[in-house]
Amino acid sequence: MPARSLSLTVNGQSHLLDLAPDTPLLTVLRNDLELNGPKFGCGLGACGACAVLVDDRAVRACAIPVAAVEGRPVTTLEGLGGPDRLHPVQKALIDEQAAQCGYCLNGMIIAVTSLLRRDPDPDDAAIRSALRHHLCRCGTHVEILNAARRAAGAMRERTHAGEVE
Amino acid sequence: MTRPEEPSRSRYLEAAEGLVVTASATDPTLYLALHPGGGVTAFNGHVDLGTGIRTALAQIVAEELDVPFDRVRMVLGSTQAVPDQGPTIASETIQVTAKPLRQAAATARRHLLACAAHHAGCEPDELEIVDGIVSRKHPANWAIAIGELVRGQLERIALDADCPVKPVSAYRLVGTGQARTDIPEKATGRWAYVHDVRLHGMLHGRVIRPPHTGFDHGEHVAHNLLSVNEDSLAGLPGIVDIVVVGDFVGVVAEREEQAARAADLLDVRWRKAPAIADLSAPEDPLRDHPASARVLADNGNVERGLDAASSPIARSYVWPYQMHASIGPSCAVAEWSEERLTVWSGTQNPRFMQRDLALLFDMPEDAVTVERMEAAGCYGRNCADDVTADAALLSQAVGRPVRVQLTREQEHGWEPKGAAQVVDVRGGLDLEGGPAAYDFETRYPSNLAPTLALILTGRVSNVASVTHMGDRTAIPPYAFDNMRVTVHDMPPLARASWFRGVSAMPNSFAHESFIDELASAAEVDPVEYRLRYLTDPRAIDLVHAVTERAGWTPRTKPMTMEREGDVLYGRGFAYALYVHGTFPGTAAAWSAWVADVAVNCRTGEIAVTRVTVGQDSGLMINPEGVRHQIHGNVIQSTSRVLKEKVEFSQTGVESLEWGGYPIIQFPEVPEIDVVMLPRPDEEPLGVGESASVPSAAAIVNAVFDATGIRFRELPLTPDKVLAALRDAGLAREPEPRAQTRSLPAPTRTKSRRSLFSSLAGVAGGLLAGGFLAASPWHSAIRPIVKPDPATYSAMTIARGREVAAAGACDVCHTGVDGTPFAGGRAFETPFGTVRASNISSSVENGIGAWSYPAFERAMRRGISRDGSHLYPVHPYPSFAGTSDADLQALYAFMMTQRSIDTPAPKTALSFPFNVRSLMAGWNALFAGSQNFAPDPQRTERWNRGAYLVETLGHCSACHSPRNALGASRTGADHLAGGFAEGWHAPALNGEGPSPIGWSEAALYDYLRTGTAADHGSAGGPMSSVVASLAPLPDTDIRAMATYLASFSDRGRAQGSEMAVPASDHSKAVIEQAAREAPAGNRIFEGACASCHENGAPIASLSAHTALHAETPDNVVRTILKGATAPALLAPEDKRGGLEVMAMPAFAKSLSDRQIGNLVRYLRARYAPDAPSWQNVEETIAQARKAVGR
Ligand code: FES
Ligand code: FES
Repeated sequence: MPARSLSLTVNGQSHLLDLAPDTPLLTVLRNDLELNGPKFGCGLGACGACAVLVDDRAVRACAIPVAAVEGRPVTTLEGLGGPDRLHPVQKALIDEQAAQCGYCLNGMIIAVTSLLRRDPDPDDAAIRSALRHHLCRCGTHVEILNAARRAAGAMRERTHAGEVE
Repeated sequence: MTRPEEPSRSRYLEAAEGLVVTASATDPTLYLALHPGGGVTAFNGHVDLGTGIRTALAQIVAEELDVPFDRVRMVLGSTQAVPDQGPTIASETIQVTAKPLRQAAATARRHLLACAAHHAGCEPDELEIVDGIVSRKHPANWAIAIGELVRGQLERIALDADCPVKPVSAYRLVGTGQARTDIPEKATGRWAYVHDVRLHGMLHGRVIRPPHTGFDHGEHVAHNLLSVNEDSLAGLPGIVDIVVVGDFVGVVAEREEQAARAADLLDVRWRKAPAIADLSAPEDPLRDHPASARVLADNGNVERGLDAASSPIARSYVWPYQMHASIGPSCAVAEWSEERLTVWSGTQNPRFMQRDLALLFDMPEDAVTVERMEAAGCYGRNCADDVTADAALLSQAVGRPVRVQLTREQEHGWEPKGAAQVVDVRGGLDLEGGPAAYDFETRYPSNLAPTLALILTGRVSNVASVTHMGDRTAIPPYAFDNMRVTVHDMPPLARASWFRGVSAMPNSFAHESFIDELASAAEVDPVEYRLRYLTDPRAIDLVHAVTERAGWTPRTKPMTMEREGDVLYGRGFAYALYVHGTFPGTAAAWSAWVADVAVNCRTGEIAVTRVTVGQDSGLMINPEGVRHQIHGNVIQSTSRVLKEKVEFSQTGVESLEWGGYPIIQFPEVPEIDVVMLPRPDEEPLGVGESASVPSAAAIVNAVFDATGIRFRELPLTPDKVLAALRDAGLAREPEPRAQTRSLPAPTRTKSRRSLFSSLAGVAGGLLAGGFLAASPWHSAIRPIVKPDPATYSAMTIARGREVAAAGACDVCHTGVDGTPFAGGRAFETPFGTVRASNISSSVENGIGAWSYPAFERAMRRGISRDGSHLYPVHPYPSFAGTSDADLQALYAFMMTQRSIDTPAPKTALSFPFNVRSLMAGWNALFAGSQNFAPDPQRTERWNRGAYLVETLGHCSACHSPRNALGASRTGADHLAGGFAEGWHAPALNGEGPSPIGWSEAALYDYLRTGTAADHGSAGGPMSSVVASLAPLPDTDIRAMATYLASFSDRGRAQGSEMAVPASDHSKAVIEQAAREAPAGNRIFEGACASCHENGAPIASLSAHTALHAETPDNVVRTILKGATAPALLAPEDKRGGLEVMAMPAFAKSLSDRQIGNLVRYLRARYAPDAPSWQNVEETIAQARKAVGR
């Protein structure tokens, strides 16, 4: 497709880019916006490494054309929180040391965040099922599950304390 | 930009101040550098493969130096800086590679104490170091920071291998849990993996591999390329270069998506790859492969022992090819100049990489810098080296930095696999029930998988070498008196390299399964039986500790545990001491498993519910890190045992993505209980692999305990398990379904003739029938001066735009590059290519010189301005009924659009199809010229819809079957379903295959947004039609929906009035589909379910029209080509509520066979009451041809 000018909102910032509208969103995030969070894993929507949030839903950025998110704000791992302002899910993953190579981490954090926005108190089966199509080859599942539980607890506490995310 | 560069060793050796520890006074190999600020840089030749080695090594240095942990920075792997310590393999980092580091730190510590003592005027032993501060113990009146001690000048000292190290009792850091230093950055997207390197001026490359996917040796290799047609990329934006060196082919572009597209489109012709043995069933090919026997042990007298055995037992165990299956496909960046090559690489072996690159470019090794960056975990060797050399070749060609990202398919296909293995064991019981003999023979086709570019460019030979790697843990851990162990070393079959546990995994699978069989034959509890023959005290301790923790109860026969409904439970045990390295090798950590399984006798599914795993790792540097490694090993090896096997086609690896090679998912992960034996006074042992080794036997033994069935070949997929359960009379067959699926060959009631394929019939029929009698000649209408756009009012042009949208003109007449109305799109027909013409306002090449009468004649009668006939690809029979006002507005609109002055390629059919005048006869028969007549009985809206559907919209061109002469049938067949470009265009007359009738609302949604919740999304040509309809006002779309819905209210329930038949979702249907098409089920779970079962309504397949259709065409084509994001198809103001999703194309990822399996599964699962599809293979082959690779 011929390039045209597209406007995107990513992590609260707007960008105007000249792009072929069918460019995968992931390529734009990684190459044009130089974001490291979303990762290329399969390009087929199967592994979850590339996940980003669009309207609170975890979306596979490798499989969707960038034009599909025009006018819909995108949040990446970077946008959730940074080292000095960790999102509770990021903090829980760090506290549980839930990474080996860490390549899958982006997808895991995005998926857990999206799950907790839908269901603040998920049971084990709900967590496992929300993460079902996020693959981890290192076998970090146990730590990731612990982190998801810990994050759920932390976020509920925050809500009780009246803080908003 | 992200350009990580490690300062070279000389920067440290030539620094102004500090303390450096090198190998010796003359050998500048650098281990440690202490800086005036108090920081410490430590160097290690091994790399972090995602196991947290970086943290463990830093702990060792901090401990030995007594500096705070966070002051130590580890430099791993980068060739400019670190010692050459060989490849990071076989769990050696802590056991071997860390030693000089620790000695270096001890040497530095001694030196610092001596310096400090000099300053303080005391003896070194009166001082202590705590947290980087040297102080006097008594009286505590003097202190100095070690950063101060190394200030002012540079001192270089030599590593003293005999320098005493700290006693374990004095450790305060080593042996305690230490948070990893990399995780915070990784969790926030700040960490730079090799994938995240971005250099100034960097280009993007992709490679195109030969057809012998995953095979790297043999005469044909490096001699496969026939041609590369550079013209195939003509006109693509951003292309910088096409690089061909021998069989190495790559493309370079400015942007990554441009390179990806170029790699897809580049026309590369290869010789046909030679057929290979079927490695999906590796036993025979391995037995048939030439091998040389190497006897590793021969104790006692095996033959005599076997003769004396009361009941001889001979067993064979088969291990499949498996994949490392890194989550991130390999990636690298290279920057080449005449003098220097720098690569950013995820290699496991920076030094080997450096050597390979020097060889590839014939340059000195020290002109090559390998910056080692972390990549996705690899557990052995994946494509990291290959892609590094690829990037270097492309960078050399273009003289700029190039990043190459392999595709998922390339990583799956070409990564050197974990080798298959076949193990034969003969043995038996003596009269006392002890092992009479143990004759163990193992076959292992290994290879070193040379870096691919070296082979493809012909730099190294295509003859594979034989390596001796089949011997890992080949010696059983039991004291068998009569024992012989033989390895059959053989050259590779598929490209292979080491993969976690290497040959120890299959070897231990055989050892630990066989001893279980002996115990069972002797009617002794398998744990007790092992303990009788284990001699190693640490092994015995471990077995006791693990079985105690698991609450093991002795068992002498299977099927003693409780059963719940269809589920049988069992537990199994296995033990292994992983021995790695060149035979006789070095032992890593000891490991033992108790596995609990649940076997479902209805589905054949095995769930590993719990694993109690024990490990003796010696001293644990970072116990939490060790625990995580154990978890990782248990989960990954469970996945390998239950699910993993590489499938091969006749020419190469067939499993190219996660459906073809599924791995464990969260719901399948067992509970894991880890028992770590405290051994602080023992040497630290490698923990990266050990806990994988007992996995297969423990699980298989547990399945035996549950069912009495022994599996000796992996993986334990449900279809295999179910078949064995059936043989054993244990399978629970499902209740027969009330309605059995009858399988009559479908009588094709609808003509498959598509708009285009029927032209053959046209010409043939016309010739035969002599229709030439109808006057074929029409006069040309004189060209005019192109009308001045100003003559048309804005309103007329706007109306014309809508008419063009409704007529979907640009769906066919769009330029190849997407330029509106430029023409040139090719429509393949059996007798030649029909090209859409340029209909832009160009005077020369478009319709700019056409008068309105000429335009109207073409639209209504199919006659071009010059008097020649148009092919009925142009749907003038429908357009004939368009109102004059609409046609005039359309003319105005077209004349005011941009003139595209490039001629569209001409249609070139061969005789007789090139005789356009034949169409005259056709017209005489079929072309209408009636204006549309409204039905006064109907509403205005209905009539408006009818007009749009029947004239401008020309829906019948695709949605009606065609007669033998290629005309849309009328009467009862009108809108009764047809074909377009190979896609089935379902009936619109209410007789369509959808299980749910199309309501007006659904039709509106579909036409407006491309998606109807109950029916699915538009695919193929229909998605372009939806996009084209975007400019039409809502009222028109509603009108079309009203008209079309009036056909479908023939007593059928619509939309939500009728929920999807409950059976479609029922567990029974899902299980039945899995039983019918197990291979398709696996692909669905791995490749499709991530979207189609995520709860998003648009992705639900339950009522999808295509799955209920008579033929699988649309399903097949959608799988091959993917589907556009509905959120993209819909007009911008209608996108809000839509799911942001699109379906990728699987043409490159799935083979025809895999698609066939998938399609069968989909039909069984989502249209359980419909008959199975026939001719699936044919349909796939046809669609594949149309779609391309
Ligand atoms: S990279 Fe997007 S799902 Fe795998
Ligand atoms: S931590 Fe490596 S893939 Fe999950």
